[in-house]
Amino acid sequence: MKRLFTTLALVFFTATTLSGTVLLKGGLVHSGNDGAATVQDILISENIIVGVGNNLMIDGNTRVIEVNGLPVTPGLISPMSNLGIVEINALDVTRDDESDLLSAGFSIFNAFNPHSTGIPWNRSNGITSAISTPSTSSFPIFGLGSHFVLDGSLEIKGSKDIAMFGRLGSSYGSRAETLSLLESLLEIGKLLKSIPVEEILEMTIADKLELQAQDIIALGKVANDDMPFVIETNRAVDILQALAMKKKYGLNLVLASVEEAPMVLTKLQESNTPVIIDPMDNIPNSFDELGSSLDLGRILDQAGIPIMFSTQRSHNYHLMRQGSGNAVAHGMSYETAIKGMTQTVAQTFNLDNRGSIEPGKLADIIVWDGDPLEPASFPKIVMIEGRLQDLSSRSSKLTERYINKEDKPSSYKH
Amino acid sequence: MNNKVLLPLLLFTIISCSESFNIDLSFGDSASDSINPGIDNAFASTYAPMNSEPILFKSANIYDGLGGEFRNYDLLLSEGKILEIGESITAPGVMVIDATDKWITPGIIDIHSHMGVYSAPGVSTSSDGNEATSPVTAEVWAEHSLWTQDPQFALALKGGVTAFHVLPGSANLFGGRGATFKNISQNTIQAMKFPGAPHSLKMACGENPKRVYGNRKKAPSTRMGNMAGYRSAWIDAVEYTDGMDEKNSDRRPTRDLAMDTLMGVLNGEILIQNHCYRAEEMAMMIELSKEFNYKITAFHHAVEAYKIADLLADEGICAALWADWWGFKHEAYDMVQANVAIIDQARNGTGCAIVHSDDAVGIQHLNQEAAKAMAAGNRVGYKISKAHAMRWITSNPAKAAGILDQTGSIEVGKDADLVVWTGNPFSVYSIAEKVLIDGALAFDMNNPKIQPITDFDLGIIKPQDNRVQ
Repeated sequence: MKRLFTTLALVFFTATTLSGTVLLKGGLVHSGNDGAATVQDILISENIIVGVGNNLMIDGNTRVIEVNGLPVTPGLISPMSNLGIVEINALDVTRDDESDLLSAGFSIFNAFNPHSTGIPWNRSNGITSAISTPSTSSFPIFGLGSHFVLDGSLEIKGSKDIAMFGRLGSSYGSRAETLSLLESLLEIGKLLKSIPVEEILEMTIADKLELQAQDIIALGKVANDDMPFVIETNRAVDILQALAMKKKYGLNLVLASVEEAPMVLTKLQESNTPVIIDPMDNIPNSFDELGSSLDLGRILDQAGIPIMFSTQRSHNYHLMRQGSGNAVAHGMSYETAIKGMTQTVAQTFNLDNRGSIEPGKLADIIVWDGDPLEPASFPKIVMIEGRLQDLSSRSSKLTERYINKEDKPSSYKH
Repeated sequence: MNNKVLLPLLLFTIISCSESFNIDLSFGDSASDSINPGIDNAFASTYAPMNSEPILFKSANIYDGLGGEFRNYDLLLSEGKILEIGESITAPGVMVIDATDKWITPGIIDIHSHMGVYSAPGVSTSSDGNEATSPVTAEVWAEHSLWTQDPQFALALKGGVTAFHVLPGSANLFGGRGATFKNISQNTIQAMKFPGAPHSLKMACGENPKRVYGNRKKAPSTRMGNMAGYRSAWIDAVEYTDGMDEKNSDRRPTRDLAMDTLMGVLNGEILIQNHCYRAEEMAMMIELSKEFNYKITAFHHAVEAYKIADLLADEGICAALWADWWGFKHEAYDMVQANVAIIDQARNGTGCAIVHSDDAVGIQHLNQEAAKAMAAGNRVGYKISKAHAMRWITSNPAKAAGILDQTGSIEVGKDADLVVWTGNPFSVYSIAEKVLIDGALAFDMNNPKIQPITDFDLGIIKPQDNRVQ
C-alpha cells in the first residue's frame, strides 16, 4: 500500500507552512503571459514570487525543490464555479447559490464554506482560486460573484462581490422583455449618481421589480463604477444586443458561452470584450446556439479576443484543462489556453496580484506531472500563496481505503 | 424573486443508465422460442451497410481493442469486414491509404446514450426518454422514441463512435427496452438498428424513481419501496413466463408488452442494464437477480462500483462508469477517479470496466475519458497500458451490448468499424480523421462530402449554409 502512494506521501511530508524562501528549480515555466515556456527557476519568499530566472541568488536557508523540467503554471483560476456554495446540486439544503429576496445584489460571499469537499478536490487538480457565482434564475440578473482562495482556511481569503452575473436569451418569456428589463435596471443603477438609494426604493419601478437596497447599490456599481458584468448569451443577434448595451451604458462587459460568436466576430473584436467559453460544448442545446462548434476557441483566438474557460458540469472545474486542450486540438494557441485559465481571468476580474508567474505576484503555482492540457496529467505540487498544499481529498481517502486488501471491514481501514 | 432553475440538472438526473452483458445467459428455466414468433421479429433491423471498396491501410499503429498493440502494421478491409492484419500485406488493385504515424482503433462504442430520445435542441417536444407515468414501464421501447435527425449522431461520429446503445431514462424502476444502433443517420429507425443486437431492459435504483414517484405521493418513495416494486413485477413475470410455457395455448395468459420484456430477461434474450450508483444497492440488485433467476449485464453510472469490485468480477457483471463526474446528487458523492481502473483490475484483472457517456458531449471524447481513468489508476499503482484501456471503450461495451461477435475489436472477420486517429487516441490533441462503419467511410475530416449533415442541420441558420459542426 505504501508503495502505491509514494507520490502522495512525498507531497504529504511537505504539506506544511513554509517560512523563509523556496526555490522551485528547473521547471518548464508557462508564465501565464504571452510567449512560450522556458526552463527557469522560481524564487518564492513567504507568499510572494520574488524572482524568476536562471541564476537567482539564494542563501543557505533557501529550500530548493527540484522540478526537473516538469511543466509549471500559475495556479488555475476558475472564472465561474459553485465552489464553496454548492455541496450537492440535487440537495437544496446544501445549496447557498440562490436567493428568494435579492436579485442583482445577491452576494454569495458570506455563504462560502471553506470545508466543502469540492475545494480539496479541485485544489488537488490544480485550481488554486475561483470565482463562485449565484445560479441561473428566472430574473435576468442572478447576483454577484466573489473570488475565493482555495486553501481551505476558515480565515476566508478572497474578494467580495467582484462581478455581476446575468443572462440574455430564451427560456423565460421574450428576450425583448429581458433586454428592456436589463436596460431599466441599468437606468436605476445610473440614478444612484444623483439620487440616494432610499429615494430610489420609493419609486414605482423599484417596487414593481421587488428591488432591495442591495440590488440597487449593486446595479450602481455596474452602471457607474466599472464592475464587470458577465452576461451569458449565445445567439448571434443577442450578442450584438449585449454589445450595444455595453456601448450605451459604458459597461465593463464580459460575455459567457457565446456559441454563435463567430457570426459576429468583427463587432465582438471591436468591442474589446473578454469571453468565457466551454470549448467542448458543440451541441445545439437550444435554438439559441445552433451555431455551436468545436471551432469556437480557434476563431475567437485568431481574432485576438481574450478567452477564459467554463466547464460543462459542476464540481470538476479543473476540467477546463481538458476543454482548453480540446480547443488547442482544434487550433487555439497553447499560450492562449494557459493564459485563459490564469492571467486572462485575473486581468478581467481585477485580481491584480495573481494569474502569472512573475516577481511581485502571489505564489499560486502548480507543478504538473505532464502537459497540463492533457486531461491525464495531474499536479505534483500545488502551492497557494507560497504554501505547499496537501493533495489529499475525500476522493483520495476513499481510493486508499478501497484498494487496501486487508481482510477487515472497510470501516476499520483508516 | 429568483426561482432557481435546475432544468438542465433535473433533465440529466432523470436520465439514467443501463448496460448489457454477453450471451450464454440461458438462465431462464423456460425457453419459449416458438410461443410468440411475432415478438422477436417486430421492428427488426433493416440496416444495410453503405457501399464500400476494399481498403488497405499501410503502416498504421493499431490498438486492437482487446489489449493488443501493433506498430507499423497493415490492415486490409474487404466487403465491409476486416480481411487481414499483418506486417506487410499486398493487395493489388486495392485502394491504399498511408497511415504512417496514425493510430487505428476499433470504432468507439457507447453503452449508455440518450441520443435520439433526448435529442438536440433539448426542447420539451424532443423529451422522449422517460415514460415517467408509472414506475414499471417495461412495455416501452426507446427505439420507438428515436428521432433520426438528431444532430448529435453526427457529432458523436466525428468523435469516433460507430455504435451506441440507446436507453430509456431512469425515472422508473423498469424504464423500458434499450436498443443498439450503427451510427449512420438514416430516415427510418429500423435502418439504423444494429443487426442482430439484443434488446436491453433498463432498470433504475436509488434516488431517481423514489424522487419522481415520491414527489407525487405514489410508490416508490423510498429505497425499500423501490425493492418492493421490482419484486412485485418479477413475481408477475415469472407467472407470465410459466404461463406462456403451457402446451395448450388456451391456457396461456393474454399477451402483455411489459411482461414480454421481463420474460425476455428471464429467458436470457434481453440484457439487464441497471442504473445504480451505490454499492449496497448494487449488491441488493444482485440478490434480486438471484431471487428471480436472471442475469445483470451491467451496472451503469456506478459511482461506488469500486467498493464492490470483487463482487462484480465474481458475478461477471460489467460496470459502466464516468471517469470523474460527481456531486450532482447524493448517490454520486463518493467518486474516485480510479473507479474504472479498480473495476478493471479486480480479481486479477478479470473485471469488466466500461467508460460510458450518458451525454452528447462526453460521447465525443470517450478516448479522453478513458485516458483520465487510466492515468488515475496508474497513479495509485496499477500498470494499465493504453492498449488495455482501449478495451473500456470498444470490446467491453460491445460485450455489454451483446455485439462483440460482430464489432468492438480489430480481428479478422469482424465488421470493419474503425477509427483512424491523427495521433495516439489517448492524447487530447488527437482527433478522429476517418471513421469507417462496415468498411465504408462514414466520416473524413478532410472531405466535407463524407461528413453527415442531418435534415435538422440543413439551412437552419442561413438557407445557403448548413449548420456548422
